[in-house]
Amino acid sequence: MGNVRLIARLDIKGPNLIKGIHLEGLRVIGDPAEHARRYYDQGADELLYVDIVASLYGRNNLQDIVRHTAADVFVPMTVAGGIRSADDVRDILRAGADKVAINTAAVQRPELITEVSKRFGSQCMVLSIEAKRARTGYEVGYYDAMSTRRWEAYTDNGREHTDLEVVEWARRGCELGAGEILLTSVDQEGTREGMDVDLVRAVADAVPIPVIASGGFGAPRHLVDVVRAGHADAVAVADALHYERCTVPELRDHALRAGLEVRRC
Amino acid sequence: MEGSAPASTRRTTADGLEIKYGLPGEVRFCRTCVISNQRPNSAVEYKHTADSHKATIHLDDDGVCDACKVAEQKWQRIDWQAREQRLWELCDRYRSSDGSYDCLCPGSGGKDSFYAAHLLKYKYGMHPLTVTWAPHMYTPWGWANFQKWIHAGFDNILYTPNGRVHRLLTRLAVQNLFHPFQPFIVGQKALAPKVALQHGLKLVFYGENEAEYGNPRIDTESAVRDYRYFTSNDPSEIYLSGVSLAELKERYGVGGHDLVPYLPADPDQLEQAAVDVHYLGYYLRWHPQSCYYYSVEHGGFEASPERTPGTYSKYNSIDDKIDDFHYWTTRVKFGIGRATYDASQEIRSGDITREEGVALVKRFDDEFPERFAEEVFRYLSVPPDEFPVASAQFERPIIDRDYFHDLADTFRSPHLWTKRDGEWKLRHTVWEDAP
Repeated sequence: MGNVRLIARLDIKGPNLIKGIHLEGLRVIGDPAEHARRYYDQGADELLYVDIVASLYGRNNLQDIVRHTAADVFVPMTVAGGIRSADDVRDILRAGADKVAINTAAVQRPELITEVSKRFGSQCMVLSIEAKRARTGYEVGYYDAMSTRRWEAYTDNGREHTDLEVVEWARRGCELGAGEILLTSVDQEGTREGMDVDLVRAVADAVPIPVIASGGFGAPRHLVDVVRAGHADAVAVADALHYERCTVPELRDHALRAGLEVRRC
Repeated sequence: MEGSAPASTRRTTADGLEIKYGLPGEVRFCRTCVISNQRPNSAVEYKHTADSHKATIHLDDDGVCDACKVAEQKWQRIDWQAREQRLWELCDRYRSSDGSYDCLCPGSGGKDSFYAAHLLKYKYGMHPLTVTWAPHMYTPWGWANFQKWIHAGFDNILYTPNGRVHRLLTRLAVQNLFHPFQPFIVGQKALAPKVALQHGLKLVFYGENEAEYGNPRIDTESAVRDYRYFTSNDPSEIYLSGVSLAELKERYGVGGHDLVPYLPADPDQLEQAAVDVHYLGYYLRWHPQSCYYYSVEHGGFEASPERTPGTYSKYNSIDDKIDDFHYWTTRVKFGIGRATYDASQEIRSGDITREEGVALVKRFDDEFPERFAEEVFRYLSVPPDEFPVASAQFERPIIDRDYFHDLADTFRSPHLWTKRDGEWKLRHTVWEDAP
């Protein structure tokens, strides 16, 4: 296994960096380029830009922000949100992105995964999955997320059901040519209570490609948990960086002390 | 105020289109949010009949609605430190030190009531009793959040009305007013003052003031909730679901103790007991999104696991399965669906831009709430075996999809709706509105 990558995740809405909880209640944080630059300076291994409402609003306007950021950030940049065709991919790569992550359009037309990976290489085709635990006991008013080990894939920023089972969908995406999986837990996202380790392990053990765990990071030990027990290849951090609850070097030091392989700056 | 002027004279627009409910004939949209001037103010539901005329939200000469003006004051002008000081003083006056409750917090356990009760207890040192008027039909996540609220440290009284009576009243409210949420609103408003009397509590705390959403601005000038919203001293003036109490008894077989939950507290008793009713939103700058953050952090509140039909949000008013239909019916009657309400609030709070709001309304406002539709139709049906007396009073006791839509069409005001290629379309939309 290679180094565990530390990825700064920036969710974007319009011109702003934003953040929510369970992908809801989106709060404006500030200027995305400024934050991207800061995380790059701190030594993030990669940046992840997500136009979080592109599908919700039916638009795609990250190109300017990406171009602006790419001018002074020199780590791999993945861009997600509103990418619907191979031509959209071409445009965003030209603007300076290194990879794209696709959710809604891949659910609607899974062949898009193959088209993108054939045309641009699977290394740049990241399948983005928003996963939420299926609930049990609706009928009797009982409602406990943690009692199940089934996850459903969602689109539109955790709003629309797809009826796709996450592990199956990840396997299929991999067969179709995805080179990496960005796995966001809607249940944990924004809560700072730790990642959904069961989810990450279920997917990571089912596919041979790297899995980026996202959603729920609140303390450095969560990174160790999701790598050790969850078999994650990379961890995306948003809330903790945006609200300056920790820095990338602190994370890196903690990981090194815990014996994880991370890039040494 | 509505309820007095009968619709004896049929109003029309200049083009001869009928205008229902006494709505403004010309549709205008607020230029800072996305609400239209067709939005009715809260009113005394006990006076609500099929003939009621609506008072609606006021737009000024610049096209700005009252709710936006309240919001502007809220975010820019009000001295919130001074207001909070007054809240401390109020709490100091009522805080108990002998182990008894000192205030009543009505709420559902949604983000707003979670915030209100939690703050009163843990910041202001109060000893609240919480009281909840049950939804028609709990959603699983609504029930879960309600439980989490209690488990965050509160005693709670859950008052659940007789399911048969509640169904019948809801059906009548749909039939007469196309207002499936009215029985909930009536019971909810009546409950807190009565529980306060029963428990000898002198202080009731509600959350936001309804004026934030467009009732006349004068409402926010006083923290004390107007008695008229929940008291009455003349039973002959009381209507439930648009039906008088006498008629409910004679034709539908419900009366006496069946209706206890819906009847208002006695104003004389309230006055004698000197129950003070206050809005926390008067003392604290209320921001629904912040209430969501607060309740996640302090009680593990969860957004619903899917978008609410008719809108984009999943944290707002999510505990009643019939709520989807509440907003769908407001769109039928007033051209205002749920996305319009949600987006207007979030624009005023600075969470989204107007441009985003317009896009969201265009995309979601018209969506039919499919997810609980069959269940809601069953709920609204009054089969003879379950409703031996009332059932015979309905031409179609069983509601199915076709009948529901036929009924909806009778409530569409021609000045708002037109049928194009077999589909109902609004004549005026916020996304086609010239600025």
